[in-house]
Amino acid sequence: MSTSLIEFSRELANTVERAGKSTIAVLEGGRSGVSGTVWREGIAVTIAHTIHSLEEVNVVLPSGTEVKAAVTARDPGTDIAILKLPSEAPVATLADDAEARAGEVVLSVGRRGNEGLAAAYGIISAVSGAWRTHSGAKVDRWLRLDLNPFPGFSGGPIVNAAGEVLGVAVSGRGRSAAVLPSSTVSRVVDQLLKHGRTVRGYIGVGLQPVVFSEDASQSLGIGGRGLLITAIAPGSAASEAGLTLGDVIVAADGDPIRSGAGLQWLLDTETVGKSITLGVIRGGRLVNIAVIVREKSA
Amino acid sequence: MNPKNHPGINLSDAVSKMAAHMREMTLRIRGSRGHQGSGTLWPRAGLIITNAHVADASVHDVEFSDGQKAEGWLVARDPERDLAALAVSVHPAISASVRSARGLRAGELVLASGNPADGNCAITTGIVHRPVGNSSWLLADIRLAPGNSGGPLADATGAIVGINSMIIGYLGCAVTSDAVDDFLRTFHLAEAA
Repeated sequence: MSTSLIEFSRELANTVERAGKSTIAVLEGGRSGVSGTVWREGIAVTIAHTIHSLEEVNVVLPSGTEVKAAVTARDPGTDIAILKLPSEAPVATLADDAEARAGEVVLSVGRRGNEGLAAAYGIISAVSGAWRTHSGAKVDRWLRLDLNPFPGFSGGPIVNAAGEVLGVAVSGRGRSAAVLPSSTVSRVVDQLLKHGRTVRGYIGVGLQPVVFSEDASQSLGIGGRGLLITAIAPGSAASEAGLTLGDVIVAADGDPIRSGAGLQWLLDTETVGKSITLGVIRGGRLVNIAVIVREKSA
Repeated sequence: MNPKNHPGINLSDAVSKMAAHMREMTLRIRGSRGHQGSGTLWPRAGLIITNAHVADASVHDVEFSDGQKAEGWLVARDPERDLAALAVSVHPAISASVRSARGLRAGELVLASGNPADGNCAITTGIVHRPVGNSSWLLADIRLAPGNSGGPLADATGAIVGINSMIIGYLGCAVTSDAVDDFLRTFHLAEAA
């Protein structure tokens, strides 16, 4: 028989076994349990919505021991929760997901309660740039997978052929498998460990989308849409920058702003403490106003 | 191009060879209602093993991969284990072996061969989804189609580890080789012929 096939088979099983050493089972997650990945010393990540409102969960460690783990923090934006493990488990080896290429072999590894490891095989079918989750959190990279999800795979690692973790498995649209890349997970874990939450930018305005007439947008040299300021929080960044009720935000740092989500996209962790220049229609004229973005309080 | 110098080509060449090897042990079986399924030449018993839901009559038309046709006579059937055994007058010599599914690790390569509606002796590849434990069912992350029922699931060496039986969600489900041996023992068919 062909040694290349036997070798390939052994490598696949070895890779699953290796990734499994950092994969835990979260018994309360979802309908029949989900998985988790040991990300830092004594810290595992899993999917937050599957353990909604729980402060403590039962987990099965890679050693097979069942223990209680405290849910110490959650990030609603990326749907990541972190669990504090009472005993040691090997930390996952992370891949640099910026190096991920379409066509690479990947394995999804999960732990099913006390039944042991479960795995699925696939490839990365496409790689593209940053995207936003439904709740507005920035995810550094879109890794499209050609891989079939299986019950309980969420929260477990997606590993490359070298057995390094490319990211955490999540459910995608239409019963597909998606992945939160390791770089994003690490960033969120760092913030959750440091602040107990993730930092988002905030300028302190209430907004209402408005549409300009064609004449107005032509004469002002702007797009057809803007955001009317309907409220300003006292003492906020917007208030200190001199924004007033009735101003209409049409651009930020030179790019047109068409929706609240578009503005939210700019107010990310990286912009906190920095200045953004808003293009504002005031009294029929376009003016530029610099605002220093602050951290949004919880 | 020298295949030996290209790992990827080496691998696809290996899968083609395995497809040929598995074809030899895979048969086409026609059920009583005209539905098409597969059967597996079981090395140790000299019988054809298939699913109970494929072999639902006392005689079936069977066709070997080389086109040879024969009548397969039902000698044992266990709907609970979804297994059936057929006896045939011709039984080509094959080099297949059987491996216990209990030793399979999650992630090991598996191959299925069978007769889906759109392909004779079609081969698919996948991996063991999770270890079998004490179950008589083997779950694999592999694409199966209805006509795969009764066909073999083999490991990377070509040894039979199960009989493909069901599709559950995205997973393929096979009766383990151990359950087939149990079944043969129950009906006193082991090492027959």
